[in-house]
Amino acid sequence: MFTVGIDIGSTTCKSVIINDGSIIVGRAIVPFGTGTIGPKRVYQSVLDSCGLSRDDIERTLVTGYGRFTFDDADNQKSEMSCHAKGVNFIIPSARTIIDIGGQDAKALRINPNGMLEDFVMNDKCAAGTGKFLDVMAGILNVKVADLGIISEHSQVEVSISNTCTVFAESEVISKLSMNVAIEDIIAGIHRSVAKKVAALVYRNGIVKDVAMSGGVALNKGVVGAMRKELKTDILVHEDCQLAGALGAALFAWEEAVKANRCSQTQKNNE
Amino acid sequence: MRSVNAIIQELDRIVSHPRVMLEKYLGKGKKVVGCFPIYIPEELVHAGGMIPMGIWGGQVSPAIAGKYSPTFTCSIMRSCMEFGLTGKYQGLSCVLLSVLCDTFRGTSQSWRIGVKDIPIIPFIQPQNRESKAAKEYLIAEYRSVRNRLEEITGCKITDHALSKSIEVYNRHNQTMREFAEVANEHLDVVSAKNRHAVMKSSHFMEKAEHTGIVQELIAGLKALPVCEWKGKKVILTGITAEPNELLDIFTANKIAVVGDDLAQESRQFRTDIPDGDNPMERLTDQWFLRKGCSLVFESHRCRGDMLINQLKENNADGIVVCLMKFCDIEEYEYPIIAQQIEDAGYPTLCIEIDQSTQDNEQSRTKIQSFTEMINDRRP
Ligand code: SF4
Repeated sequence: MFTVGIDIGSTTCKSVIINDGSIIVGRAIVPFGTGTIGPKRVYQSVLDSCGLSRDDIERTLVTGYGRFTFDDADNQKSEMSCHAKGVNFIIPSARTIIDIGGQDAKALRINPNGMLEDFVMNDKCAAGTGKFLDVMAGILNVKVADLGIISEHSQVEVSISNTCTVFAESEVISKLSMNVAIEDIIAGIHRSVAKKVAALVYRNGIVKDVAMSGGVALNKGVVGAMRKELKTDILVHEDCQLAGALGAALFAWEEAVKANRCSQTQKNNE
Repeated sequence: MRSVNAIIQELDRIVSHPRVMLEKYLGKGKKVVGCFPIYIPEELVHAGGMIPMGIWGGQVSPAIAGKYSPTFTCSIMRSCMEFGLTGKYQGLSCVLLSVLCDTFRGTSQSWRIGVKDIPIIPFIQPQNRESKAAKEYLIAEYRSVRNRLEEITGCKITDHALSKSIEVYNRHNQTMREFAEVANEHLDVVSAKNRHAVMKSSHFMEKAEHTGIVQELIAGLKALPVCEWKGKKVILTGITAEPNELLDIFTANKIAVVGDDLAQESRQFRTDIPDGDNPMERLTDQWFLRKGCSLVFESHRCRGDMLINQLKENNADGIVVCLMKFCDIEEYEYPIIAQQIEDAGYPTLCIEIDQSTQDNEQSRTKIQSFTEMINDRRP
């Protein structure tokens, strides 16, 4: 039985198809978020990725910022629950999850069954989110995806002291005009994100293992800075960006099993 | 007899358009006095035959308040300044403000300079409540408020009238507490938004009039069948829980509000004015009886314990902390109460209250996640 999970974020749509709640058979990521063609396209892409059609799909569950706007799903759930479930599937030992999304950052504590025990989410502020990195990459004229690799060459990390994205932007410009090496500036930017997010994580309490999910987890510079800030190891799975979609697919599977069981009982009673 | 829904709709209309009430009272030749949050001895105003009317700001993206209130001023004081500066409070004879935090202090100065046509009467309720001198001080402070009120409005405030007003306020408090209890039997009708409308409308109506309407509502509710609420139940704490769009998110997630510790709502009604012979002393004594509020100093802070009791008494599933943006008083207290509540085995959720934006998406995600979390814990 195939179920689909779709995570409609503010900048990216992710989708996963699983078979019988245990094997990932399809994956897709498109760089368009809610309010664009992203959701429809990611659905088609994930089907194409494993040669399935919509008729093969038992149930679809949607999560993420755009979860209320997608009509083709059977149900929706919050990204908090879906990330908890998804990370629990790929990193079963994780008890603390850090998820840095396009416009928010979250720290979750989960139990061994992948259920949420507690969470904190940043307030309305771009600092410490993917948006902060986007803005900084824009000023530095580099691709966001390259920030991690470039920062690996840093010799001396510079301090970006302003938390506010707008002020940090002018701070970075002034560093550039002082000819500070771009890799050192990027390392400072990563540390700035890590500091902001670490405050959330500390507020929620750290229980090991700590894992990171979401697209920003692919940025090794941010992960390294988070390790330094939290003084603990952080686990990252290659499917980290898909964790929310995976959780959604797992919830869809649980719901489908429950629905099938109900209709079976009903038939038996007839 | 009007239907329960008709009464609630009327109260909701008042909350959405308080200006209509202001015009109504002015039209009747009444003087109206603005009362800033949180604990204003409104009875003095009432005893002078005037109408005390709450000033709690509103959803507005401030355009000119920034001249006096920096961006990191709590959003409620910014919106109050914005409304003051843009003439929304025109018609008030004066405003009363108790300097309970630094933001109030700044606002009292800014108002004086920025809103010249509405005089302000600032005063101080002493935080050192254990000292004997505190009571004498507060009596003197209330006396000067009384004198200033008489001077500005020309309305006489007698001890006899004050005693009568105290009775009106105590009866109103009891009625509001009764409403909170009865509402919990009818959570299908009294949604988070409706509960808020009943509570908040008290700030814009003469208290005896409001008591009458709420008593009519209570009678109407009692006539309805008791509802077995199938969803989850929470207690709200903080300064305010607004706007309606935010409260509707609770309803959409099948969450009912079964109690609150909001400065704008139940904190207003939970402390009666004690008995006694001298009305000024009685009024003062009320300040010394207040407890469990972030704005009132206590050597042993009991807000956490009070919330835990409320959770138990109302069989609630968790606490939602409605944190007023940039309210340092509440922000300092939040981690302490959250820890206490979690140690008692209850979950907490913190949402940001920001009057300067209409955007509730972050709160929507938080409330939905919280609901999913408590559903998993106690299916
Ligand atoms: S107590 Fe908080 S909300 Fe009230 S005025 Fe002071 S800072 Fe603002």
